[in-house]
Amino acid sequence: MAEICHKTSSILTTSSGTTTVIDLTGSEPQAHERKTLLNGRNVVTVFVIWLGLTVLGVFGAYHADIYPIAGNHLASQVDDAFRLLMMLAVPVFTFVVTILVYSMVRFRRKTDADDTPPHTFHSHGGVIWGWLVVTSGLTIAVLIHPGFTGLRELTADRHQDMVVEALAAQWSWNFTFPEHGVKLDKANDLMLPQGTRIRFDVTSRDVVHSLWLPMYRMKIDAVPGRTNHIYLTTGEPISFSEDPNVRVQCAELCGTGHPRMQVRVSIVDQQEFDIWLGGLEPVIVGNE
Amino acid sequence: MQLAPTAFLRDWAFGPLAFGMLVGLVMFFAAAGLIMGVRAWAGTEPVAFGPVVLGAYWFGLAGWLLGIGVWSKWAKEWLGLPVDRTMKTGWQRYFDFTTDHKVIGVQYLVTFLSMFLLAGVLAMLMRIEHMSGDQVLFSPAQYNYVMSLHGITMVFVAVAAVIGGFGNYAVPILIGAKDMAYPRLNALSFWLAAAVPVLLAATFFAGGFDAGWTAYAPLSTENSDGQVLFNLAFITLGLSSIAGSINFIVTVIKLRAHGMGFDRLPIFVWAVFAMSLLGFFFTQYIAAAMLMTLLDRVFGMAFFDFTEGGDPLLYQHIFWFYSHPAVYIMGVPGLALALEVISHFSRKPLFAYRWVVGGILGITALSAIVWAHHMFTAGLSTAELFFFITTTEVISIPTGLIFLGALGTIWRGRLWLRTPMLFALAVVFNFLIGGLTGIFLADVFTDIHLQDTFFVVAHFHYTIVGAGIFGLFAGIYYWFPKITGRTYSEHLAQLHFWWTFLSFNLTFLPMFWLGLNGMNRRIAVYPEELEFLNLLVSLGGFSLGASFLVFLYNILKSWIRGPVAEADPWRARTLEWQTSSPPPVENFTEAPRVVSGPYDYGSPSTAHAVFGASTNPDGAG
Repeated sequence: MAEICHKTSSILTTSSGTTTVIDLTGSEPQAHERKTLLNGRNVVTVFVIWLGLTVLGVFGAYHADIYPIAGNHLASQVDDAFRLLMMLAVPVFTFVVTILVYSMVRFRRKTDADDTPPHTFHSHGGVIWGWLVVTSGLTIAVLIHPGFTGLRELTADRHQDMVVEALAAQWSWNFTFPEHGVKLDKANDLMLPQGTRIRFDVTSRDVVHSLWLPMYRMKIDAVPGRTNHIYLTTGEPISFSEDPNVRVQCAELCGTGHPRMQVRVSIVDQQEFDIWLGGLEPVIVGNE
Repeated sequence: MQLAPTAFLRDWAFGPLAFGMLVGLVMFFAAAGLIMGVRAWAGTEPVAFGPVVLGAYWFGLAGWLLGIGVWSKWAKEWLGLPVDRTMKTGWQRYFDFTTDHKVIGVQYLVTFLSMFLLAGVLAMLMRIEHMSGDQVLFSPAQYNYVMSLHGITMVFVAVAAVIGGFGNYAVPILIGAKDMAYPRLNALSFWLAAAVPVLLAATFFAGGFDAGWTAYAPLSTENSDGQVLFNLAFITLGLSSIAGSINFIVTVIKLRAHGMGFDRLPIFVWAVFAMSLLGFFFTQYIAAAMLMTLLDRVFGMAFFDFTEGGDPLLYQHIFWFYSHPAVYIMGVPGLALALEVISHFSRKPLFAYRWVVGGILGITALSAIVWAHHMFTAGLSTAELFFFITTTEVISIPTGLIFLGALGTIWRGRLWLRTPMLFALAVVFNFLIGGLTGIFLADVFTDIHLQDTFFVVAHFHYTIVGAGIFGLFAGIYYWFPKITGRTYSEHLAQLHFWWTFLSFNLTFLPMFWLGLNGMNRRIAVYPEELEFLNLLVSLGGFSLGASFLVFLYNILKSWIRGPVAEADPWRARTLEWQTSSPPPVENFTEAPRVVSGPYDYGSPSTAHAVFGASTNPDGAG
């Protein structure tokens, strides 16, 4: 055939009985391509289904009560961030799924002879650039919020009312209260005063562990040879007996005792906390 | 000494295997004896697992490779001796040092599919354990071993099954080549990889290992002896990967058929090419991490020992510097295979081909600078967090282009919903969930809570199994007629698809909720509030496991006595369908000349390629 082109950039396509040579690069699709891709009826139907599913999905994501107990304000903010990411993910999810399912139903091959689609197209500049703009926009949006804003939330406030040193060892947590000169080795229970901003200085004696407080959405690895810090403000009184997420849990695989390397936590008022502290073992200097 | 196998060993089907094992064992024990002798002479306790095995293993490995054919078919010519150029035929080829890329592809597929099914059995055992919040089946040590063995085996499967299997089988045919650029290196890659399951099985007799597939130091420098074998297995697969990557890179650059420009490469070839670049540049880092752990362990070097000035975080940086690119090595070939199938079964060109290629290359480039997002809770500085959150979020832009390619292709196509297409569309669905949940983990604020929980477990199963392994099955059903020359039962295949797809989602979707609600990963004990959902997950898991029995039955039965397949049952355009099923040795009876793109459906007058010297549309030689 004389029309068969010999350059890699172009290709022959037959459509509705007419023959057109179009550009493979995708930069300049011809008018006929644009029309076949964004053909009216299918686009409108998909848009309506997508919009309906999205409204439902965003509503569901907004109201879904899927979160564990939130022990303080920061935990609620983390849940808000999670919720926002879900609400942003919903339109993307419904968009892809709508096109997938719609195409499987509407564009399925009905007979063996029905082998060739009525229109073919290689590319569509407007759709591609639109896609890039939308995906880049969404990416930049979640990068700024809750990405950078959340990062600032975590790192901005560097003051504390109290320091707790947490030393991890296979397979227990050891807490020291340096300002009070007391310590609690191989802790089963940990009490913390309510409404207090605490800095945890976390390290390990042997392998890598991780200090996780699910109710505060807070976690930091206990790495031997270095001390990591987290700051958190305790909330209202609550205890492990009310919710299993009121606990310190080792979250980094550390050997056979790993799953049971946990401490029941109680958040109590200052008075009860002081009484509890009074019952702990004093730290003898030089005998760490 | 003449190491050449006798005629009996050469001619007997299992001769090369037996001879390889024999020479390997002899060299292993000879080296082990030597090391123990030296140790005794030096006054140290002669029998010590770590030093002896670390030293003797390389001799055992060399013996195994020499015995199975490297010596008689390759190394002898370095000494000016005549090499054995005989080639077995029929099924016996698969048990020999065969250089045919199609044989090697099938060797990879069968080996790693077997490992996949065995590691799946381990997953079933873990799900039995998880049916209760308390310990019911395993001791803590046993659970950690089973979990770690499941993890590393599946990681090896994900790394090697699609690239090693279909990369080897399909890439040379897809580009119109007779074989890979270095066929003997290719055989060497496979027989190196074949040592890996042996090592993993041997860990059972060495006390197992319990540090997960990530093997974080210093846990991995002080646990039981099985860890040494784990590290050696990782290094061995790494050597195989590097050799394979070099082979793919050279093959794609040098051996494309006349007219097969880079703008006409099938998308699967692009993916294997790009992932081979990653494999080539990054696999050395995992070998380094594994070797440094071994040296810490065996010689008391202190790379990761803080008491001697080492740093445990150094391990994590080196480990993830490879292992993040590696998760793309696991996922992207499956994704590309899905795109390949989607174009052929939509009877339409791959939409925005160049942009999809750009997406794959963008992922390839960005994957090098996102590794520390696995370490958001490790105590990174704010500046590090800022950098890695940015690079990680940005990777969703090139990834989005792959979705654009898939959706634009099915849009207004003629979707032929056969099993390969169903698996390919499921890849898009699963990877969508995997990708979207990745955003929650890329964001430091939400990741701190979700890190090391079942949310992560669900996420990486959606990406690696949902895209990589579903892509593998799309490929198995797509290329089964080509590979075996036979046809499988479409009914059973579709039963397998729906059963697997639904069970997969039933198993892994609830895990997101479990992780969010306080279930950390790698544990046999968890709060009893989470028991009900775990039971559901376990039932989903058992169902998922059972679905593969349908697959096995269908594939085995069809391979033996399925109806004979035609050369091009899918009426697909790409080159592998333009030759017989199965293709002859060296693939084509006449050299193909590529004259248009691989996906130009809707233009019936042009073929992808013409055969023979008479047709020369370019007018050039």
